[in-house]
Amino acid sequence: MRNKLFLYLLSSFILLSALAVWSLYSGVFVFEKHSFLEIFNGILTNDGSIDPSERFVLMDLRLPRVVMGILIGSALAVSGTCLQGMFRNPLATPDLLGITAGASVFAAITIVLGSYIKPYIPEMLHYSLLSIMAFLGALLTMVLVYRLSTQGGRTNIIMMLLSGVAITAIGFAVMGLLIFFSKDEELRDLTFWNLGSLAGATWAKCGILAVVIGISFALLLNKGKALNAMMLGENDAQHLGIPVERIKKQIVVLTALMVGACVAFAGNISFMGLIVPYILRLIFKSRYNIILPLAAVWGSILMLTADTVSRTIAPPSEISVGVLTAFMGAPIFMMILIRNRKQM
Amino acid sequence: MKKLNQFIVIAFVLYAMVSCKKEEKTTDTTNVKTESSAVAATQRIVSLNGAVTEVIAALGHEKEIVGRDVTSTYPESVKASAKDLGHVARGVSVEAIMALQPTLILGTEKDMTPELQAKIKASGIKSVIFKQEFSVDGAKRLIADVAAALGHKGDIKPIQDKIDTDLTDLVKFKKAPKVLFIYARGANMLMVSGTGTPIESIIQLSGSENAVTDFADFKPLTPEALIKGNPDAILLFDSGAESVKGIDGVLKIPGVDKTNAGKNKNIITMDGGLLTNFGPRTGEAAKALNQLLAKNAK
Repeated sequence: MRNKLFLYLLSSFILLSALAVWSLYSGVFVFEKHSFLEIFNGILTNDGSIDPSERFVLMDLRLPRVVMGILIGSALAVSGTCLQGMFRNPLATPDLLGITAGASVFAAITIVLGSYIKPYIPEMLHYSLLSIMAFLGALLTMVLVYRLSTQGGRTNIIMMLLSGVAITAIGFAVMGLLIFFSKDEELRDLTFWNLGSLAGATWAKCGILAVVIGISFALLLNKGKALNAMMLGENDAQHLGIPVERIKKQIVVLTALMVGACVAFAGNISFMGLIVPYILRLIFKSRYNIILPLAAVWGSILMLTADTVSRTIAPPSEISVGVLTAFMGAPIFMMILIRNRKQM
Repeated sequence: MKKLNQFIVIAFVLYAMVSCKKEEKTTDTTNVKTESSAVAATQRIVSLNGAVTEVIAALGHEKEIVGRDVTSTYPESVKASAKDLGHVARGVSVEAIMALQPTLILGTEKDMTPELQAKIKASGIKSVIFKQEFSVDGAKRLIADVAAALGHKGDIKPIQDKIDTDLTDLVKFKKAPKVLFIYARGANMLMVSGTGTPIESIIQLSGSENAVTDFADFKPLTPEALIKGNPDAILLFDSGAESVKGIDGVLKIPGVDKTNAGKNKNIITMDGGLLTNFGPRTGEAAKALNQLLAKNAK
């Protein structure tokens, strides 16, 4: 099994690399007739064979976008997988728990009220204000949900889901209010941002995401066995010597961290946490020790594919990638509902 | 479990090594730099604002515009000759701009996100982002600024003076009519212009006054506020009027029939770009609005 997993991971990585190259090569901007190796060498050695604007498009537009797609896809898929393992329910996603809503509300407030807050914060934070606020929103929501649903160190899953629903409802209300009172240009900002897109990719964002995701993955990706045990029921897992509560806490906090960062930098890219685990579960059943690491790679694969399609399908403009993922995810969402109709 | 971790780490390291391996190959190609002689005669301009596009065309450089934003609809010919890059605020893609290989990128501060500005700056292509002021002086300054950015040698004074001459023969009203501007995007999305908007400036230039005085910017329209404001005329963009099914649709908006404008069917629609660009046609726009108001007042 171990060797098999390694094989799966390796082949997935190879596929991801091929996709990354393809993504880097496709777009509105057409390069002069260079082979891939020539471009690669030209950029690395800086010998003047590559035109500065080609260099800019590759290194400052496409590459950060590819990297950010890989990071965000991975983070969202792993978040979804972890939450589903914890809730023992294929519908548990960051959106359901209200993490996404919390992050969005804070971001929306920042968009509309940003001009009033700006004078009071240092110049350096102006550009990243939105991101920081969304991130805070996600964390705050998660803490709130956790407080509401946890008593004496024990989490009541149903309470947790319902608090998520309540927070999402509040989120929608605040969002609606803000949209109602926002100026035209802010309104455009809000609606655009609500759909989710990787267009704002920069190296700085990729750096922050990489750190957040690196820390989270280091703690989460080895939880597969524990999640498998928790499938039996939390008490049984406890008897097997698995620190259930601590694992749940870690999953909650780290998921909030990752989703907050993703929402901040790319808006709402919906259903990623639903599609990837669903497909993997079709193949591998609910064996989280396999699904969890694979979700990290396959999330990237899906995201990168979706984003490249969104960049190239309607030139010269771009479709928001959130629209595409929603189109992919919604039917799957329906399928899960139909399958689990008896248990609901 | 630990083994799995190791595998993942190894996989990552391998992956990194594979992608870095090519770095070790250094090529010793001789550095040949072609000096491109930058002549201002044939520029490739991307204009990301309707007013800026108008100025470029007025200065006689329309042929050099290779890319434009969705608001650049005047002169009509530019729609065909330059590529439409979409909405600036809704994420014009920098790559699409670069694909046109521009030598100059022009835009205004109001519609650009800081991110877009930063990326355009980073592209290394000469770019100027203008700060636009919505007044006659502002329009003249924009003409001068764009001319400077283009390296335009000709005389710009005639273009600037035209604004003033257009404004000299306006009809004088005995009592300035109150004009309410409705920004419509379908019947459920109606906003009215308060104070401090480009629309208010053009209304005032036309010798009339804005019906709304008690709030700034755009606010959603309510029937009660409409009746309270009681405008003598209602002004919309052509596109806005279309979205509510024409003049008849405007008259059906709750409350309109109780106002002077509704009773006299004094509904005016004009091209959005003409009204709010504040470019070379600023005088023309004020004059056109003034004449429509005078005609309807009779």
